[in-house]
Amino acid sequence: MAAVTGEVSWFCCGSAWGPCASTGRGACGTCTSGNFQHAWPNTSAACLAITRPDVCGTSLSRRTCGFTHYTTNLCNGARVGTAIADCGPQTDLFCGERACCGSACGTNRIIDLTPAAYSAIASLSTGLRPCSVDTV
Amino acid sequence: MANTMDRRRLLSTAVLGGAGIAGATALGSLAPEAAFAAEPVKIAPGAPDPNFAEGRVTSITGSVVLLAGSDGALHRIQVTNGTSIWKFQPTTFDKLTKGDGMYVRGVRLPDGTLAADSLWANIVNLTAHIASVGRNVLYLDHHGKRLIGHVVPGTTAAVYNGTPAISDVSLLKVGGHVQVIGAWHPDTNEISIATVYAAN
Repeated sequence: MAAVTGEVSWFCCGSAWGPCASTGRGACGTCTSGNFQHAWPNTSAACLAITRPDVCGTSLSRRTCGFTHYTTNLCNGARVGTAIADCGPQTDLFCGERACCGSACGTNRIIDLTPAAYSAIASLSTGLRPCSVDTV
Repeated sequence: MANTMDRRRLLSTAVLGGAGIAGATALGSLAPEAAFAAEPVKIAPGAPDPNFAEGRVTSITGSVVLLAGSDGALHRIQVTNGTSIWKFQPTTFDKLTKGDGMYVRGVRLPDGTLAADSLWANIVNLTAHIASVGRNVLYLDHHGKRLIGHVVPGTTAAVYNGTPAISDVSLLKVGGHVQVIGAWHPDTNEISIATVYAAN
């Protein structure tokens, strides 16, 4: 898979406090906020039918639970490797959305990281960053 | 070479030496975006990160915060003068209180203490849809539950489909999907909205 450019955000899962307490362990049943994990929009046909990145013109390969992706924050070059633990983000809800750091931009939400993983490459308070995602 | 001193040494020195860090300026920026670029991440994909902790604050003694992890683990967090602290906005250690929810990233010291590099109190990142709008408040549906999102004039920012953030939230529409970065009000269904990202 060639690197895909888009947007990265974060989500909580597993045991949690506050509004996150209701989120559960994700589609793979393994998701934990403190682990290096992520949600991917195409973990199954049922998942893809919800997230619909294709509606936004983004084609993402089918990858199943446990598959590893490497996400690079295009704002600072920091990179983290994570394993799939959930289905998401719902790309079609934010079709065409664009995040930039100077001239480094990403369009459409393609991956959500756990707080542990996102905070390894960006501050949680940023919420959204342009990124590239690859498999090596 | 001050600029090449890694954060583990910096934080360990600060903690173990008992001296505060006189600010990050002498050693280069510890601002989050720069700090996160400074070190490669070496945790195996899928694995727990020993340099990360989450939970609720059970006590604060001096510069040490005790966290009860949501999974039952207990964490001892050492805050230094170099720790970046967020609680709705960048803030200071004295604003932390018992009961706060927290995510912490730092360096695990030999005694198990986590020397905090960055600490986010009560931060939430939610996708929701807007059920209704009031004066300086958004009523949000999130996973089937109602949340009250307070707009804080002068602080809350709105991003409409990737355009630069502005303070005007009047373009948000009932029924619209949003992503909200905010601060939870502990033990309530209310949050203060830091940034709201509006979908098409």
